[in-house]
Amino acid sequence: MSFQVPIGPQHPALKEPISLRMTVEGEVITDVDIRLGYNHRGLEKLAEEKNWIQNIYLVERICGICSHSHATCYVQGVEKLMELAPPRRGLYIRYLVSELERIHSHLLWLGVAGHEAGFDSFFMYTWRDREIVMDLLEMISGNRVHYAINTLGGVRRDLDEGQKAKILEGMVTLRKRSEYYFHIGANEPSFVGRIAGVGLLPKDKVVALCAVGPTARASGWARDVRKEDPYAVYGELDFEVATADTCDVLGRVVVRVKELLESYKLCEQMVRNLPAGDIAVKAPRKVKPGEVVSRYEAPRGENIHYIKANGTDKPERLKVRAPTLANYPATVEMLRKGFIADIPLIFAAIDPCICCAERAVTLVKAGSGEESVVRMSDLRRQAIARHQNAPVKRNAVWPL
Amino acid sequence: MTDAELIEKLKADLGDKVAEIANPARRRLFLKVAPSDIIAVTTRLHDAYGVVFLSTISGVDNGETFEIVYHFSTPETDFNLRTEIPRADPHLASITPVIPGAILYERELQDMFGMIVDGLPDPRPLVLPDDWPAENYPLRKDWKHTRPEEVIPGGKS
Repeated sequence: MSFQVPIGPQHPALKEPISLRMTVEGEVITDVDIRLGYNHRGLEKLAEEKNWIQNIYLVERICGICSHSHATCYVQGVEKLMELAPPRRGLYIRYLVSELERIHSHLLWLGVAGHEAGFDSFFMYTWRDREIVMDLLEMISGNRVHYAINTLGGVRRDLDEGQKAKILEGMVTLRKRSEYYFHIGANEPSFVGRIAGVGLLPKDKVVALCAVGPTARASGWARDVRKEDPYAVYGELDFEVATADTCDVLGRVVVRVKELLESYKLCEQMVRNLPAGDIAVKAPRKVKPGEVVSRYEAPRGENIHYIKANGTDKPERLKVRAPTLANYPATVEMLRKGFIADIPLIFAAIDPCICCAERAVTLVKAGSGEESVVRMSDLRRQAIARHQNAPVKRNAVWPL
Repeated sequence: MTDAELIEKLKADLGDKVAEIANPARRRLFLKVAPSDIIAVTTRLHDAYGVVFLSTISGVDNGETFEIVYHFSTPETDFNLRTEIPRADPHLASITPVIPGAILYERELQDMFGMIVDGLPDPRPLVLPDDWPAENYPLRKDWKHTRPEEVIPGGKS
């Protein structure tokens, strides 16, 4: 006998709204249905009504963790359309922020993986260290989340010698600690026992379902946009593509820690070889008709923007595909034949970012399963009515 | 293999199935294909050129027609397959038999542009709510969002 277990859209195990409907037989998941759209904001439509500069800040708000990825992917595409060549110093600073963002995102994910596996000291250690890189980002850009450092033709803030020294110092500390985490992550018996063999995704499925990023690389599919399509400065930097061949959550941990170590290397190279000169050139207001495909390796995988210009100061079309959307079909495959207890671990292992993948409010009645779209004002009225009818503790007296 | 060599090989191989091949930048090939040939060309690229990874599918509303761009990539080159279908009869064949990972992108095209993708294993709406009004396709150029008047009880009048 099989049952359907709904997980989400609001669920303690998932921090963002998505609905997973699991068909289970006992403890074993036999089928999974993913329903999206709970966080769809219509950003692609909105982008057609904003000008090229406004859109930088719009696409930056697609995501709160990989905000710089979307802004950079958009900006490097528009610069190609405008035939702008940003100064090399500007590019180095832009991609330095990219790598720092990758470090903060991977440290965040490692903590979440530790937490989902019940290894909370790992979570506390990695999140403590994440503060180092968050402080560096705040020092460079003035912000901790939306760095807003990109502009068309370069970046908006320069680096000075003191900041360069601080970044290098931070990298030394982070490298030392990450090597220790790598040792723990791959050797601590209870942690490895919890994550090894969970969420299996064979390489042929990765290829068929077009998975991206660390999810794909953990199954031995060594695709990295930075290596195969080296944009901007990546052609002149030395780094390796991290892979693992265990095809499970353990492999995804190993890939992300290896990528952290590569990112430290990249940051140090960029800070040490920072060219002198300007940080930005002036960009025109309008763009000639044309189209461009811009690819970028975000922390979660390949991010692709297709931008079409029609000769005005607004884009004709901006198509965004965030890495999480590409990983959903693979997630279904990972969850199938797994156990209920592994759901949060497997789902967290793709590092899902629902707000990236979606850009209306749906309510489901608990009893009947009936769904309806509700306007904010109706929702508010319902909330007030519900509150008025709720039992209230009257004249409560402090017992002591 | 450089882009130029690859274009020569593709022209010889695919013949009249490909109307034009543009190469506006390094690693960027744009192939124009008739909608009826899309599966044949995708299958050929998949089997003979190792084009197994689909990044996404972009739809563009060009007024009388819808333009669809399939963004494929290999470690060497990016293939962008472009096709156009009439707005009056927006039928498109699904490429999921060749590339199963295309399903979410094709469902998104159905939601956002009202294209009908034939042969899709799971044609339910992807991102729009279940009670979204019919015939409303947000990314069509003639669809405009009108925000309903918000009334805050007891608040600002």
